[in-house]
Amino acid sequence: MQHNMPLDEVLMIIALGSYVVSALALLAFFFTRDEWLKHLGIPLAIAGVVAQIAQLLARWELTHIWPLLNLYGSLSMFSVVSVGIFIYFAFRYKLWFAGGFVIALAAMFLAYGVTWNEGTMPAVPSLQSYWAKIHVPLVVSSYGAFMVAFVMSAMYLLKYYYERALGTATAPVDYAMAGPSAAASSTSEMRVRLDAPNIAAAAAGGNATAQWFNTMPSLAQLDILIYRVVAVGLPLLTLGIITGAMWAHEAWGAYWQWDPKETAALFSWIVYAIYMHLHTRNAWRGVRSAWISAAGFLTIMFCYFGVNLWISGLHSYKV
Amino acid sequence: MTAVRSYYEDFLRTFSNVLFAVSLLLVWGLMTLVGVIVQQGKDPSDYFSMYAPPLARMILRLNVDNIYHTPYYVGMIGLILVSLTVCTFKRVIPARLPVLRPVKIDKIPLNGQIEVPGDEGAVRARVEQFFRKRGWQVRSREFDGTEWTFADKHNWARRGVLVAHIGFAIIAAGTTVYWAKGFSGDSAVLVGQTIDVPHRQATLRLDKFNFKIQPIMTKSGMVYQPIDYVSNVTVVGKNGIPKNETIRVNHPIDIGGTLFYQSSYGYAIKFLVTHDGTRSAALSDKTYFTGDAITLPGSGRQIQVMQFVPTVDRQTGQPSADPRINDPAVGLAVAEGGQTAGAALVPMKTWIDVGDGWRVTPQSYVMVSGLQYRYDPGVALVGIGAFVLLAGLVISFYFLPARLFVRVESAPQGCTVGLAAMTVKGYDIFETQFNELLAELRKTMVPPEPSSSLSLAEAT
Ligand code: HEM
Repeated sequence: MQHNMPLDEVLMIIALGSYVVSALALLAFFFTRDEWLKHLGIPLAIAGVVAQIAQLLARWELTHIWPLLNLYGSLSMFSVVSVGIFIYFAFRYKLWFAGGFVIALAAMFLAYGVTWNEGTMPAVPSLQSYWAKIHVPLVVSSYGAFMVAFVMSAMYLLKYYYERALGTATAPVDYAMAGPSAAASSTSEMRVRLDAPNIAAAAAGGNATAQWFNTMPSLAQLDILIYRVVAVGLPLLTLGIITGAMWAHEAWGAYWQWDPKETAALFSWIVYAIYMHLHTRNAWRGVRSAWISAAGFLTIMFCYFGVNLWISGLHSYKV
Repeated sequence: MTAVRSYYEDFLRTFSNVLFAVSLLLVWGLMTLVGVIVQQGKDPSDYFSMYAPPLARMILRLNVDNIYHTPYYVGMIGLILVSLTVCTFKRVIPARLPVLRPVKIDKIPLNGQIEVPGDEGAVRARVEQFFRKRGWQVRSREFDGTEWTFADKHNWARRGVLVAHIGFAIIAAGTTVYWAKGFSGDSAVLVGQTIDVPHRQATLRLDKFNFKIQPIMTKSGMVYQPIDYVSNVTVVGKNGIPKNETIRVNHPIDIGGTLFYQSSYGYAIKFLVTHDGTRSAALSDKTYFTGDAITLPGSGRQIQVMQFVPTVDRQTGQPSADPRINDPAVGLAVAEGGQTAGAALVPMKTWIDVGDGWRVTPQSYVMVSGLQYRYDPGVALVGIGAFVLLAGLVISFYFLPARLFVRVESAPQGCTVGLAAMTVKGYDIFETQFNELLAELRKTMVPPEPSSSLSLAEAT
């Protein structure tokens, strides 16, 4: 053990370690539904978030340089926000079963970010602005929200296609698609939702996989969850683009330069705007919007990494 | 006449269709993506070196190299605005501000029924009181002799979509103002040079330009990190009074509404050009930028100024990565009849023989500040529109307008209270809340059955 390892590196190791164990525990929980695994995973996820926030603050304090100006810092923010948003949604809507995936992805992004640690570098002139403290966290937070939406979409699609695979005799009755004319019981009891009837039937018949799918939220609930997370991401992305434009107005003389990075963000923004519009239509809720939200995250990844690594522009921070 | 009307109706029908709107958004998105992938604003020859000739020709012919300013890109945004307007008036406003009307309660997926003792009037009053206390806006209407109660929550938020759409339109208006009235450009200003501020009765003189570069050893090698670029200028406005100002990155200056930004820097070079030992005044008095050429009269030969190299590596004699000025040199190429005949890196104050008795000596250099200027009278509108759009998003996403339909009917023992709910976002999103509301209503309206423990307590 090096006794002179800087504090921020120690914290980073703690954060990464917590995430890895938490992800493993929650992944095991996903497959086994053993409660103790959840009780191990949750505190570790929280510990990871706390360690990472402390790491970013320590780095800022040690170097006096806003830590989000390179891929290392921004990936660190991205992972902490994804896990943070997920923890909020998980407590609110009992989503811990999906935690393993979110936290594993976050840990992977964080580990990748660490490979970009070039040590401390002062900011180039265009990044020496208070806007860096506003714009970067907003954009990266929106990416985090979209990642959570992506995992929820994957869950939706998994359950949906499993339901389909179980039998095509009964097409899934997607309650969301049924609309006002759907037959509904007029009893005052809470309705029993049968939006995955094949899974429900197979679960009742003792099929272990089906029983396990049956403990996931219903398709309709997953659909609403995706919507709610995108509803966090889209305003953040909008505000991120707006603050980026304000910064560009101040630094480069034009709020919009059609630079590849901002244009790629506009593209993602359009994709999620499409998602939001289609989600207002009954027929497009459910599986189709889950696909759009999943695809939306790929456009975010393109905007985040693709543009930085393949396409040069103002955001490659030359001036 | 009827043909015109039917076209008009087709137009309205198409443009108010959300799927049509989404298709427009999709095309807009894809065109935007094309502009990310195909680099914008390059030299035509660059496209031929990057793509196969047919593709390069297509890129140039369709103006994909400048896609965001093509008629079809701008036209697409125009179509989106038309669609957005038609949709807002034809669909959003009517659908989102529905009139109060009776419904078939049990045909609505979110519905429930409770049996309540008491007479109709009293029960209705208590039900209305229940919703009012929880912040619902309660209204009653009579339809064909049947009394209905309607309770609304976040009714105002039904306008969120309208707000978002108006925001988008305001942004479009702001950019149009710039196209109509604004201008922008850039100028490379030599130290000591004075330029006219475009469209303004003002001049700007560059007194000094400075840059600061910090060499930093990183894990992947030496990096020369720029820290600061500073132009010290003197501005003389309409009043004729000179004013000293400083332009830095992130700190533009404002000259009569036109903003000046620090965007780049470079060098200009003066050469001593001699022919058989005699100085050519015409060629030697000029200042050359990189990319310029010195045309030698009578020789058919051109000396192209390729680059200014601030530091030449002493060991290799090649340009080094250090952008600070240590041992400057100029990269020159000799071209004859359009063909490059040779190239050399020529240190300052050393001459190079370019044939036929011509000699060229890089004599001195002067710093150039790249300034960008922009006058944009639409910027405030764009800013306002952006925040209006954001407000619309937040209203639409976080305030769910819901309407409850309540019908109280006399039943053999008391009344039946039928309750149904609709929201602007379907039913699933409101299900949990609806069930909670129903349970609470039941608890409030129906007196609890005396439980055994209670009767025991009463007995003792
Ligand atoms: C092609 C142009 C557009 C058309 C025709 C259009 C049409 C519509 C319609 C009809 C709705 C309401 C659907 C319903 O309640 O049943 C809607 C919702 C909405 N629109 Fe647009 N829209 C357009 C562009 C935009 C743009 C560019 C934005 C900016 C993001 C936007 C933001 C919204 C929002 C936030 C909602 C509410 C979504 C929700 O509540 O979940 N729209 N739009």
